[in-house]
Amino acid sequence: MTSHLTDRVTGVFLLLFAIWYGYRTTLFKVSFMVDPVGPKAFPLILAILMGVLSLYLIIKPDPSPVWPGSATWIRIGLITLTFIAYAYLMVPIGFVLATTFEVTALALIFRGPLLKSLVGAFILSAALYGLFDMLLGLSLPTGLIFRGWWG
Amino acid sequence: MEILNFLFQGFAVALTPFNIMMALAGTFIGTAVGMLPGIGPVNGIVVLIPLTYALGLPPESSLIMFAGIYYGSQYGNSISAILLNVPGTSSAVMTALEGNAMTKKGRAGPALAMSAIASFFGGTVSVVALMLFAPALAKWAIRFGPAEYFALMIFAFSTLSSLSGKNLVKGLIATLIGLMLATVGLDPVSAVDRYTFGQLKLLDGLDFVVVVIGFFAINEILRYAENIHQDQEVFTKLGRVMITTKEFAMSFWTMVRGAAIGFFVGVLPGAGGTISSFVAYTTEQRLVDRHGTFGTGDIRGVAAPEAANNASANGAMIPLLTLGVPGSETTAVMLGALLGMNITPGPLFIANNPTVFWGLIASMYVGNILLLILNLPLVGIFVRILKVPGWFLMPAVVAVSFVAVYSVNNSPFDILLMAGFGLMGYLLYKMEFPLASVILGLVLGPLVENNLRRAMSLSDGDWTYLFSSPISIGLWIAAIASLFLPLVIKRFSAASTVADEMEEVELVEVD
Repeated sequence: MTSHLTDRVTGVFLLLFAIWYGYRTTLFKVSFMVDPVGPKAFPLILAILMGVLSLYLIIKPDPSPVWPGSATWIRIGLITLTFIAYAYLMVPIGFVLATTFEVTALALIFRGPLLKSLVGAFILSAALYGLFDMLLGLSLPTGLIFRGWWG
Repeated sequence: MEILNFLFQGFAVALTPFNIMMALAGTFIGTAVGMLPGIGPVNGIVVLIPLTYALGLPPESSLIMFAGIYYGSQYGNSISAILLNVPGTSSAVMTALEGNAMTKKGRAGPALAMSAIASFFGGTVSVVALMLFAPALAKWAIRFGPAEYFALMIFAFSTLSSLSGKNLVKGLIATLIGLMLATVGLDPVSAVDRYTFGQLKLLDGLDFVVVVIGFFAINEILRYAENIHQDQEVFTKLGRVMITTKEFAMSFWTMVRGAAIGFFVGVLPGAGGTISSFVAYTTEQRLVDRHGTFGTGDIRGVAAPEAANNASANGAMIPLLTLGVPGSETTAVMLGALLGMNITPGPLFIANNPTVFWGLIASMYVGNILLLILNLPLVGIFVRILKVPGWFLMPAVVAVSFVAVYSVNNSPFDILLMAGFGLMGYLLYKMEFPLASVILGLVLGPLVENNLRRAMSLSDGDWTYLFSSPISIGLWIAAIASLFLPLVIKRFSAASTVADEMEEVELVEVD
């Protein structure tokens, strides 16, 4: 028998979410009504529709998808960790270094060769910085640690 | 002759050196993102949105580039379909079927040439149709009030939900997720803050660039982690990229029918390149495939879907430009970009912004000529991009995404949000919730609520007002009827002889 667990769990989760989402509308501080429906009605309609559809999903679920094995989840976890690290590192160490680390790390996770990954990542990061920051005028972080050196 | 007059004005806009450059940049990027499996026109456009804001590009120039990416991707997606049997975007599924069969017979060159020529034909014919139909539709839609708009958006949601996934209920849930995400932030009418949890950064709402990049680029990286494939040997001996006059004559009416089918399917919200190329292919199979050569490398089997998917990209611009209601994820992202420039497309858009509209139309003629050049003599250059190994290409996509996400608010916080939406997008994708519906809900959310509330203000809170005009009643009926569309399409494909092959190919609209 095929499993339908994924959709059932998702349905329950969505149902709880819909209840919470609808409940939150009662906490909106509405001081005066500018229009007949106000800011609560639309979210409430969405919550009710979501509630009904999630019940349907619980009652008539699709067969569960083929979830990837643990190796993939480890890779996905590692990738997510690199994103979080990037968010905290990019301002202190600057776009070029942070992006070089990020691209190298991802390339290694995807089984790229170390040296090629590192060199490619550095060239790419420097090129992006040159194109977007220097040429096109977006402001990408230079890096706090380089502050004394230039600029 | 009013139209010719406007068109000349349009060419005056489109032929400035700067706008030619924008069209070239758009079509070039479009060909590249269209060709690379896993990324598509949505990625190309959304990454450039913060740049166009930062540079303060005029709306016509931005739109010329974005449209170039959209229709350019319909040229590019056939390159990988023909050479690798991997459609660059889902609308090249039928091209992969027929074009790769030609490659296996050593006829990659003619297949690529036919694809470029049919794309040019479909693209150009449909710009003519766009130019003729759009102003007329806009004039008709001027009488739309908030109740009609509300019904129209419901219609767009229901068609996209029923066509973009296997399970209608999941399509509707995906739409609701998008609408719920859109309610985050300050309510513009009453200034009440909703679902911000005291986070100042959320008061302006979730930035759709961050959400879309999470859903499309980051989700794609996580999917790549699932299956780190060995890179395929790219077939680069293309031979002569040309077709004979006999092949052209043989395919001429196929292209005409393909372009017509593509355009009209493209106009419908929800249905786009994938469905139109499938309908065009099966139509040709019935009409001209007398010797059963379709599926074995018949050049007309390349011409039909390629003419159709290009025509449908241009057809899809009609509801966006005349009604302000997009019917696909790519046009939804374009709407988001326009709203960010304080331009609200709608019936008055063409009349109020003639330079933007006619400049865009003129640039589409220019862009299709540029694409013909990029895809015939220069196709060899693009094929080299396919040789970039996946372990480097995917991280490079992430790096470009970071540039875009960071530039939205110059805030590293958005990188975290993006990562969160990337994971969410991956889970939704695995459970077959169509992401296109989430995006449409997210972009249209504020407009849906706004029109609903304006309608209620007009009627003093009487809900029956929503169903009080013939146009809105018609749209509500169409919205309900469209929920049954998948059944109709299933019957249509069951009757065709490629039904067996289509069982494996998912007829799902994602372009």
